[in-house]
Formats: sequence, structure tokens, C-alpha cells
Amino acid sequence: MTTPLLITRRMTDHPGDSQTIVRYESTGGYAQGKRALGLTRDELVEEIKTSGLLGRGGAAFPAGLKWSFLAPERPAYLVVNADESEPGTFKDRQLLERDPHQIIEGMIITSIANEVHHAFVYIRGEYAKPARRVQTAVDEAYAKGYLGGGIFGSDYDLEVTVHLGGGAYICGEETALINSLEGKRGEPRLKPPYFPAAKGLYMMPTIVNNVETISNLPHILALGGGEYSKVSDSADTGTFMTSLSGHVNRPGNYELAHGITWRELIYEIGGGIPDDKQLKAWIPGGASAPWFIPEKHLDLEISKDATAAAGSMLGSGAVIVMDEDTCMVRAAERLVRFFAHESCGQCTPCREGTTWLEMILRRIEEGQGRAIDLDLLVDVSDGISIGLAWPPKMTTICPLGPSAVSPIMALRDYFRDEVDSHVVNGGCPLKSGGATPQTPRSPGDETASEDGRSSDPASPDPDRMPGESE
Amino acid sequence: MSTEPNLVTITINDVETQTPAGGLLIKAAQDEGTYIPRFCWHERMSPVGMCRMCLVEIETPRGPMMVTACTTSVADGMVVDTESEEVKKAQEAILEFLLANHPLDCPVCDKGGECPLQDQALAYGPGESRFVEIKRSYEKPIPISELVLLDRERCILCARCTRFSDEISGDPLIEFQHRGNTTEVNTFPDLPFSSYFSGNTVQICPVGALTAKPYRFRARPWDLQRVESSSLQDTAHPRIEIHASQNEVLRYTGVDNDATNHGWLSDKARFGFEYLRSEKRLTTPLVRRDGELVEVSWTEAIDIAASRLDLIKDEDGGEALAVIGGAQGTNEDAYAISKFARVTLGTNNVDARLDDALASHFLAASVDRATIDDLDDADTIVVWAQDLKEEHPTLYLRVRRAVQELGAILVVIHPRVTGLDDRANHKLIYRPGGGYELLDELASGDHPEVNHALAVDKVVVLVGIASHADGPQLAESVAALVRQKAGNTKLMPLNSRANTYGALDMGLAPDLLPGRVGLDSIGCANLAASWGEFPVVAGKDTRQILQGLDSGDVRGLVLVGADPINDLPDPLVAIDGLDAAEYVIAIDLFLNDSNRHADVILPASGFSEKEGTVTNVEGRVQKINQIRPAPGQARPDWAILDDIATRMGVSLGLPTAETISKEITTVSPAYEDLTWDTLEWDHRDGVVVPIHGAQAINHIPVALQGSKAPKAPLTLHVGRVMYDNGVRLQHSPSLHKLAPGPVAHLNPGDAPTIGAQDGRTVKVVTNHGEGEYTCVLDEGTPPGVVFVPFNQEGASSLGADPVVRVTVAGQ
Amino acid sequence: MSSWSESTQERATEIIARYPEKRSAVMPLLYLAMAEEGHLTDAGMEEVARWCEITPAQVRAVASFYTMFKRERTGRYLVSCCTSITCMLLGGDEVLHAVEDESGVPHGETDDEGMLSVEHVECIGACGGAPAVQVNYELIEGVSPTQARELVRWLKRARPEVVNSDEMQELFGARRSFDWGISEEHGAIGPYPAFQPLGTVGSEVSE
Ligand SMILES: Cc1cc2nc3c(=O)[nH]c(=O)nc-3n(C[C@H](O)[C@H](O)[C@H](O)COP(=O)(O)O)c2cc1C
Ligand code: SF4
Ligand code: FES
Repeated sequence: MTTPLLITRRMTDHPGDSQTIVRYESTGGYAQGKRALGLTRDELVEEIKTSGLLGRGGAAFPAGLKWSFLAPERPAYLVVNADESEPGTFKDRQLLERDPHQIIEGMIITSIANEVHHAFVYIRGEYAKPARRVQTAVDEAYAKGYLGGGIFGSDYDLEVTVHLGGGAYICGEETALINSLEGKRGEPRLKPPYFPAAKGLYMMPTIVNNVETISNLPHILALGGGEYSKVSDSADTGTFMTSLSGHVNRPGNYELAHGITWRELIYEIGGGIPDDKQLKAWIPGGASAPWFIPEKHLDLEISKDATAAAGSMLGSGAVIVMDEDTCMVRAAERLVRFFAHESCGQCTPCREGTTWLEMILRRIEEGQGRAIDLDLLVDVSDGISIGLAWPPKMTTICPLGPSAVSPIMALRDYFRDEVDSHVVNGGCPLKSGGATPQTPRSPGDETASEDGRSSDPASPDPDRMPGESE
Repeated sequence: MSTEPNLVTITINDVETQTPAGGLLIKAAQDEGTYIPRFCWHERMSPVGMCRMCLVEIETPRGPMMVTACTTSVADGMVVDTESEEVKKAQEAILEFLLANHPLDCPVCDKGGECPLQDQALAYGPGESRFVEIKRSYEKPIPISELVLLDRERCILCARCTRFSDEISGDPLIEFQHRGNTTEVNTFPDLPFSSYFSGNTVQICPVGALTAKPYRFRARPWDLQRVESSSLQDTAHPRIEIHASQNEVLRYTGVDNDATNHGWLSDKARFGFEYLRSEKRLTTPLVRRDGELVEVSWTEAIDIAASRLDLIKDEDGGEALAVIGGAQGTNEDAYAISKFARVTLGTNNVDARLDDALASHFLAASVDRATIDDLDDADTIVVWAQDLKEEHPTLYLRVRRAVQELGAILVVIHPRVTGLDDRANHKLIYRPGGGYELLDELASGDHPEVNHALAVDKVVVLVGIASHADGPQLAESVAALVRQKAGNTKLMPLNSRANTYGALDMGLAPDLLPGRVGLDSIGCANLAASWGEFPVVAGKDTRQILQGLDSGDVRGLVLVGADPINDLPDPLVAIDGLDAAEYVIAIDLFLNDSNRHADVILPASGFSEKEGTVTNVEGRVQKINQIRPAPGQARPDWAILDDIATRMGVSLGLPTAETISKEITTVSPAYEDLTWDTLEWDHRDGVVVPIHGAQAINHIPVALQGSKAPKAPLTLHVGRVMYDNGVRLQHSPSLHKLAPGPVAHLNPGDAPTIGAQDGRTVKVVTNHGEGEYTCVLDEGTPPGVVFVPFNQEGASSLGADPVVRVTVAGQ
Repeated sequence: MSSWSESTQERATEIIARYPEKRSAVMPLLYLAMAEEGHLTDAGMEEVARWCEITPAQVRAVASFYTMFKRERTGRYLVSCCTSITCMLLGGDEVLHAVEDESGVPHGETDDEGMLSVEHVECIGACGGAPAVQVNYELIEGVSPTQARELVRWLKRARPEVVNSDEMQELFGARRSFDWGISEEHGAIGPYPAFQPLGTVGSEVSE
């Protein structure tokens, strides 16, 4: 397979210093940013539309179309979504660490196209090092006059603020991210009416794009939208980053063109399963995606439409591979635990339902399962995602809650026997050992003390006012 | 305002209906008769779509789609199914989720019997829970303020309370904390939910998570008797329901009406009922014998009262008699007082205002008076008045909404920080006593941003006494200036006592007659036809009456529900007057500093113990109702006065409150047609009485004249705060403890020169008095100003002189 | 009337200036507050409330939403073990148990000395190098239970002033998600992310 490298070309060719402005400029960097200043909004939007670029943050929304929807009020803002937190996903981290100037140039292009003068990069808080790399690059770009007042000697101003998250997956959801950036709880907003392109940051029109989406822009301008669209033979244009992880011999990020099969990805690119074990299942598009199994899906094409037709999605591009020895109850529990922990808590079904699912799964894992539990799991899931269809019919504000249902569907559809044997066996029939850590609590999270009781606020005596001393 | 709203056609469960475009589906369905269950949605707050209870299906080109009815706007041709299998499945699921962690402690929960969760679980729920895991539990309950308790495990996280405090009342002190399954509502440690509006959250909580201390465990909802009324603890007369059991008032709840309060109440209006059941209520007539008050029969008391009044009237004429009070009762009471003073006593020495008020004509009869609803339409709202949050809570909420939701420009002018400042587009602060200087500046075009804000079409001005150092006339000059500058000005003159407007409409002012009629007008002649003879020269106002008592010009005084010693900003006048008074009769609920030395004290019925009408700040007349008998032998003011009058040989002819109300409709053209029946049946939200063109008095002083701010390094600013030592609050223990007590606010910048420290005692000295106060260092009080809340327990009188010295106590 | 040091106050002013609205600075200022006191105290949140002109309750609503604002005493080294799906598949739970066992600190807790806090976390974006551990948000990939024990011993013994990804990866890690490129000197000095604009990195201590 020959893979045309675009966004990972520089870091592949220059592993030592791809993040520096010197290397960036010596390999053609910032030429497209400068050129964009001479193009009109319409020309730029048209170019991106022609390229067929789909958003890489998970929803695969056409980028050019998103831009064209931007409401006319000003100021408008740009936010680069670098909150990457979906289990299995680590592609943006590589782009942030290894080629931050590519992102900045993409931001310059996006800003010019959308008349933005203040752009933000929202980086998840745990990505300290990527944030440092980006901030360093931003500082370099300011020093060169590529950012700030009158960029590249023009009269176009562009400020960039790098913002660090605080540890919450839900802030990857674009409206939660906007709330978070406004200094509020990262709770997703209602859509409608709060589509970012209409009422986003500070209730002004806002473009939110993923790091990878933005990284593609200099290449689209350089190649031309038409040329870019031909990079792949598939209907999905350009390249895409996939994060391959789990039970494969060669995990890592790969920049690929759409159109290969899962078999090629797992066995050729990923080098197959360690110790030549059997493939049991894989998650094709990040923790939210319904699972695939070799019996049905190994020779499907990796493309948006083929994956959707098979009832799943490419999502954030993360592929998690599980071998024959994996306990599926445990894998499901771990994924559901994630969604329960990351639920913002606004919606009843997500807040209560995901935790309930987690509790039942843990009970089954610990050998306390009941024969009716799988049906109960399915029915609780049905309450979060009515009808259990794909894409889900949500009873929630955002797709996080319904995402927790995917692992349950896998248990129901492919691994019912394994659940049953947990129940009959009084625990896991497979060998993977060790107790499951309970819902994560961090030092400082005083709500979840051992007995589940809160000591917060400090007011043990019900007749005492907060603040009154004893 | 636009004319007809555009209508769209939607189909709900196969029935076509027309509904205003842009409305929310949940509301459209409700108006059409289809109830969609809900928890988080509240008509007066922005939708959040969090509980997910209101899920319905709408048809789309891609098949049916589930949406929350509370966040979906109707669109023409929309086809909605609220009862499909999927909708039912969703409703069952949501309820099962909500109940999973909800304690089933309904038998001991205050909300039991009126709980939306309980009701909807019955109507839409799955019947039984399959949740066998351990429920979330919290330490319970925690007091989040002096008035409100929180049981977190009952909470279903609908965000009604947090939205209320953030969006509506503007004090976001309770918030969601943590996230996901551990999300809870809470305050910041050590920072209680000390909002003046906290009780509303109890009312709108759809479960028993928030409960009110004054009501907790006192009754079960099904045992309560209920009657609608209007609160007299707020000048807007918010509509309330009174709930009582076994003749005891147990709570007030806000009634949602468009006209005034939108369902909201200040805590003072909500919890201010405890005084009604106070042990200290007066229950028998008392007369002074040998310096002691002794209980007597009503006949004896009336005899004594009447004969002394008769004697003075015979000796010195009606001018030697006076009546103060009447602003706390009903219009019927006020009318009886007015007629009693004029016809029986033969005097115009009568005043319901307690010397801290604007001119009676200005208050009662400005032709361009604004209604509360006018705020919603205003382009600019000017508040140059008391701090609305402290003294006019309903207006505060309505102004807030007008600015925040409806986009009005807000100008606030006041000597220090006010509750509305965070929403003000322009705020001007001036030295107490410097009001006229500021007015001159504005007149001559200074403060261009404010002048610019006035150059719009519709301006509503709320004027009142922002600082006593400027005197009451300033407000009229403010009104004159704004009228000159702005296009279409409407005016809301403010007075703090609840039924002042009703009292003035009934002629309880030395120069006004019932129906806002001046003594010199034709109305006077009309009235004579019904009343017979009465004096037509203007009488004395409250201050003049008190001075008259001191000088001996006035010998006898009738106090009706008034306590001048505590109510006057300058109590020294009241103390001197009452000390010197020859003869005082008091009609009241309690003994107070002013009536303690009276010769005859007659026990009066209070709120909820009598029927009648009241008139609010915008001139809206509403009916108030009785739910319990008055304690002991207490009787309504009007009945007592009617007896005294009869005994004096000048019958008032007012045997029942309803007769009075009928008489009001005949003698006062403004109140024509406003019978009790009309108000009970046709106009439950009341009727704004019109300003009658021919008889209205448009009193506008044109010249801007006045004093200058004193040059002293420190000036005194005295103002009311919500909780003070007023007699009803004094006897309402839950609220009384919220009063700040004797405090003096200083700017932190002024502290070092004085040596004052936060929380320590300082001595405040004026030319008239001095007292010790706890010092509060407060950025909201500008440098050079000392702010002393008025009428606090234990505070001594400072008089009205704005020049003040502050020292550290003991020096 | 700020309780913060002068340099922190300067930093706060700078941070606020980066945003169109003050409230947006809440999260960065919460990190500043943590850097001042080692963890987030009520006083710290009140200070942030003053800077951002919102109520302390609003600040706490935000702070408690996110996992990284530690409102309880937290060790100088916060060891976060990923036990999310991929790390779990490749032995993340065992790494966590090794850390707990070696340090004697169960996850969710801090040792008496205030040196070490242990937690387990959801995915930290290092699945290609699973299992992964962070110390003060400095990443180490491909950590075995044995290496995890060594890491704990090293932290307790060497008590490094600054912890740094590159250095720890060399010492205690194995397979990486991708080639990190040249090493950098910046590192973390407390249980909050080392990000210079927040004033939470020891840029001064870089050699
Ligand atoms: C629960 C949830 C988490 C998400 N997390 C991320 C994320 O970490 N990074 C990201 O780029 N998009 C994430 N998204 C998608 C964003 O909402 C948004 O669609 C995306 O940032 C748009 O950028 P794109 O059009 O370039 O893909 C998430 C969505 C949901 C519902
Ligand atoms: S689905 Fe979950 S994460 Fe999404 S908004 Fe609702 S509660 Fe929050
Ligand atoms: S009432 Fe609509 S979501 Fe709560």
C-alpha cells in the first residue's frame, strides 16, 4: 500500500525538529497562510468545499459547508478542538507535538476565510507537553509577525490564545467546549438553537474544527481542492489519521487514504495480533462506535459509507483491537465506566442510565450477575437510545449518553454466551485477572468517599449553618 | 408591540390546532389541552431540556424524530405525537431513571401530596423499579440558608433553583457542583444562599429537595385551606395564595400572574406571616388608668376614646385633632379613616405617608404614571430611587427582566451600590445631598452616555427618595428633567409602604380627597353631596402634625397602624411630638414605641383576617381575602372607627367592608365599576385605575433648584434594607434574625484614616445624635460616605443631618 | 486585597488579557491558584471569583466539574495510571496495582507526607504506547508493573524538583505511541500541568 503522506510528511522526514518554525518554513510552511490573505472568503470556502474535506473530530461534517453556514454577525471566533479524549484516540496529540505550525497555518487560513480575528486552541489539560509545543510555536509565529497585529505585513489582525482544559472528555463536544472556554461548566448546549456557527462563543458565530481537520488546510490550498480530493480512490477524500491500538503488533498513528479494508489495517499495517492469537473484536471508530467482529466485518472497506452501512462509524479514527483472550464483559464495563465517569450529568438518561449500566456490568464481572441482567442492560440502554437503532435515536442532549450503549449492543449481538457464562460461573471464565478499579476518584474529589457519602460542604450538623462554627 | 401574533398550524395527536409562531411546543400543546409531562421546564425561565421528561415525536422527512417539547419551537405544518409507543417508552425510562436514586420517603417529605415527581410517576411511570443497586446517599438535610434546607438525594437536577437564582434574581449562590452521577446542587462552603428571593426555589422545586424552614413538617398539603390574596409586604402587591390549617396561616405561595410578580415573591413577602400568630398580638382593648394599661370592654374603650375626641373638638375644633397612618391596611380601612377624619373629627390633618414620602399629588396623581408592564416595553429605564432590591423586590425582578431578557437600557442613579448595578448600562453615583448638582450636570448635557440613553422613544422613570439628604422634591425635578429630554416618558413614583397608593387614593393626605381629588376641585363638591360638611383647607402632613403636637396646636392624635418613632427617618420629631401629645388613641396589631404611651389602644385585625381591596404602586386595585378570624377581640380598623364615629354622634354609615367598597365606587370616579364581584370574578389580577384627565393633577416643578452636597469629609446616607425592625418583621422570628442590625458601611479606603476595622465597633456622630455601630467595610459604599441601614434593632437615632463624623468606639 | 504573590497577580492580569471576557480566565486562574497553594482551596476559589467577577459558588461549580482541579491535599507527585480500555487490555490495571502496592497509597489517596498521590484515570491519549502513566501530567508510555515500581521508588528517593516526560520515558518507559522528537527541558513542579502561560511550569528551572 502506498500511502500519500500529507499532514505527517514533515514529522516523518524530519523527526528531529519538525515542530520548529525553522523547519516548518524551510519545508514550504506559511506560504499558504500568506497566500490566503489574497483570496476572498468565497474563494476559500469554495476551495475547501471542492476538496471534500470532512471534519476529523468524529462527526465527519463537511468542513467547507460548515464554514459557509457561519452567521453574518461579528466578531466571529475560531476554536480548534484539541480536547482529544476518546479512548483509543491519540492522533491529535501527535499533530500538536510534532507539527504545531501546520495547525497555526491552518488556523490562519480558517480565520481569513471566516473573518476571524481571535482564535483559540482548546487543548485537553492532560496534554501539558503538546500545549507547551503549541504555545512555543504560537510565540514563534508572533515573533515573526505571522500572528498578532497585521499578520505577514498585511492589515489583518489575528490573536491566538492557547487554552488548557481541566480534565473532562465532554469538553470535546463543541458546545460543551464553548461553555468551558467561557469559564462555565462543560455542559453541552441545546442544538437548536446553539449551533456554534450561529450562536457560539460569547453567543457569536464560531467555527469549531478538529486539529486534524485544520492541519489539512495548508495542503488543500497547496494542492488545490480538486487535486486534494483525488488523493484517495474512495469517495472520502484526502487522507485520514487512524490511531491503532490494543492487541496489535504495531500500534500507532497512521496517515492513510480511505478505501483499504479492516483486514489490511489490522494484519498488514498493524502487523497482526501478538502471539498469533485470534482476533475477537475491534472497535472501528473510537469508544463510541459499535463494535465489529471478524466473522462479519473484516473485509469491509474503511470508509464513511461502508462503515455506516454496517451499523457503525469511523468517528475519531481510533481502532481498538481485542484478541481472543479478552473478557468482553470487562471490556464493555471499562468502556461504559468511561462514559459514566465523563457524563456531564445534565440529562437524566445519561446521568442515571450510564451509571446503572456500569453497576450492572461490574456486578456481572464480580460474579453477582443474574440471568435477567443482560435483558436489563439492553432495556436500560433502550431508555438511553430509544429503539437501539444506529445512528441512535437519542433521549439526550448530546451523543455521549447513547455512546455508552454500543458495548452493550456488542454483548447482546455477539457475546451473549460470554455474559451467560459469567452468570453461571459466578465470575469471569477467562483468565484475565486483577480486580477492576472502581469508578475513578481523584484526590480532591471529595464527593465519592468510600461510603458514597459526601462530606461537602463541611456541615455535618444539619442544624448548623454553613459557615457557623461549632 | 406587534398586533396579532402570526399563527401557525400544527397537528398534535391527529388534532390540528393554531398556535402563535415561535412558541414552544410544550406550551402550544398545553394551550391546546395536551399536557406533556415535564420537570425542568418552567414557563418563566429559559428552557434547558435537561430532565428529558417532555420527549415527544415529530415527523421529519427522515421519519419520526424524538425531541424535547420544552426546547422545540413550533413550525407551520409540524406533526407531533405525544403518545406513541416510543414516547411512552421514553417517559417510562426517564421516570425509572429519576426514581433509581430518589429516596422513597414521600410520607415524611413536605412535598408529598403536591409533588410533580410523585404525580408523574403515577401517571407515566413503569410501576416498579428494577434498580437493585445501592442508592446515592447524602448527609441530610443541609441548611443552605436561614430559610431553606436542602435534601440532596431528593434532587432530580432540573436546574430550576440554579436558573432562578442566576437568571431571575441575579444572585447565583447555588450552583451545580461536581458532574455526572455525583452532580449535586450546593452553595459555596461558608457562603449561604442568602438571597432575598430564596423561597421561590422552594416553590418551584419539583420534588422535596428544597424545603422552607418556616413550613417544614407543619402540614400536609391536602389538609390546607387556601385562598387567593395579594401581599402587602411589597409595593407591587404580588399575588399570593394563603394556606392555612386550623385557623393558622402556614405559608404563602406566589401566584403566577402576568400583571405583577410572575409567580415570584421576595422572602419577606413569602415568609412574613409569622407575626400573625404572635403571642404579642393585641387582643383586647386597653385604656390607661393611673399610668397603667388595663383591659376593658369594647364599649368602654369606645366610650372613652369618643368622649375625649369630642371634648377636644368642642374646645378647639377639628384642627386640634389629627390622624396618622392607614398605609398598611385595605382601601376600605383607608376610606373609613379618611371619612372619619374629615366628617367626624372635622380635620384635614391626616396623612398616610410617614414624612419620608414624595408629595401626595406626585405619588398619587401624576398623569403619565407607568404601569409595571410598561417596563417590558421601555427602551430605557431610569432608576433614581431607593435600592429596588431592598425596598421594591417585585419591581426589582421586573426591571431586571426588562433589561436582561427584553433588552431595555438601564440607568441607575444612587449614592451607592444597588442590587441592579450588575445589569445597569450606566450607573451614576453621587454624594448624598448632591442630587441637584448632578441633575444640573445632566440638564446641561454632562454625562453624555446617560443623555444619549434618554434620547429614545419610550422611557420609564422610577423615582423615589434615593437619599434623604436631598429631600423629596428632587424626585419631581428628576421627573421634570426626563420629561424634557425623552420622547415618551412614563413615571413610577415610589413610596415604600405597601398600600400608600391605596391610602392616597382614599384621600389619606392633608390635601387629597378620595379618588385623587384635590381639595379645591370640583370633585370636592361631588363628595360633599355624599359626605356633607368637611373642611376644605389643606391640613397638616405627618411632620407638621408631630410638630403641632409638640407646640400644642394639635392636642389629640389617632394612630392607625403607624409607628412614627421607628418609621420616620428623623425619629426625633416623632419622639418630641408623641411625648408632648395630650391624648393619643392607637389602633394596631402590636404595642410599639409610638403607641406604648397611648391613652387608648384598640386591637386591630391584620392581613388575612379581613377582606378588602388594595392599590399597588402602579394603581392596580386587587382584592385581598380573609382565611382566619382575628385573634381575641381584634376588629378591622374601619369597624372600630365607625363605632367611635357613631358614639361621637356623626355616623359614618359604614356597617360592612363591602358597603365601604360600594361607597368608594360611587364617590370616586377612578374606582367606578371596581366592585368586589368584578375583582373576584372578572379581574383576578386586578385593574389599574385610570388617571382621570380632568381631575388629575400634573404637578411639575420646572425650575431645578436645591441644595449642594455638604462639604464635610464624610456624609451620611441612610437607607432601608429589606429586613429591618418594622413591627411585622419584629414578630416574624424567621425573618427578623436576617436583619443586619446596627451597622455602618464604610469604603475600605476611608477605614485607615478613621482607624475603623471590619467587624469592629465604630461611633457615628451627627449634629442630632450618635450611636455605636458595627463597621462593615464595603467597596459598594463610595469614599466619603457612611451608609447606615435604617430602623435596625438597637440602633440609635442619628437624625437627618447628612454631616457625620465616625470614630473608633471608645475614643 | 489579593492573597496571591505579586508575580502570580501579574500572571493573572496577563491571563485575563488573553480573553475577550474575564470569566473565560476561570480555568487558567484555577491552575494558578493550585500552583500557589499546591491544591485548590476555598480561599483560592474565592480569589479566582474576585478576579473573574463571578460568585465563589460559580467558580466552584466549574472547578468541581473537572478532574484536574484538586480540591483536597494532593501530593507533590501526582501519579495517574490509565486504566481505560486500551491500557486495561495491555495491563494498565496491573500497573496501577503495582503503584499502589509499592507506594502504599491506594488510588484516590495521598500519603501522609504529602509526597505522593495515586489515582487512576480515563484515557490520556497514549493508547499506542499503552499502558501509560503520568506524573504531574508528564507522560510515560509502555510502563510495565516492574517499571512502575521503580518509578515510585525513584520519586520517593530522588524527589526530583522537576519531573519531565523525556527523562522519565528514558528511565521507566518502553514503547511510545509515536516518536516524540527532540527532548525538551520543561517539566512539572507540582500536581498541575506544566504550561508556562499559566505560570505553572518551572520555565525558570530549565537548564
Ligand atoms: C461526546 C463528544 C466528544 C467529542 N470529542 C471531540 C474531541 O475530543 N475532539 C474533536 O475534535 N471533536 C470531538 N467531538 C466532535 C465535536 O463536537 C465537533 O463535531 C468537532 O470538533 C468538529 O470539528 P470537525 O468538523 O473538524 O470534525 C466530540 C463530540 C462529542 C459528542
Ligand atoms: S448526554 Fe450526557 S454528556 Fe451529553 S449532555 Fe446529556 S448528560 Fe451531558
Ligand atoms: S421539561 Fe423538557 S427536558 Fe425537562
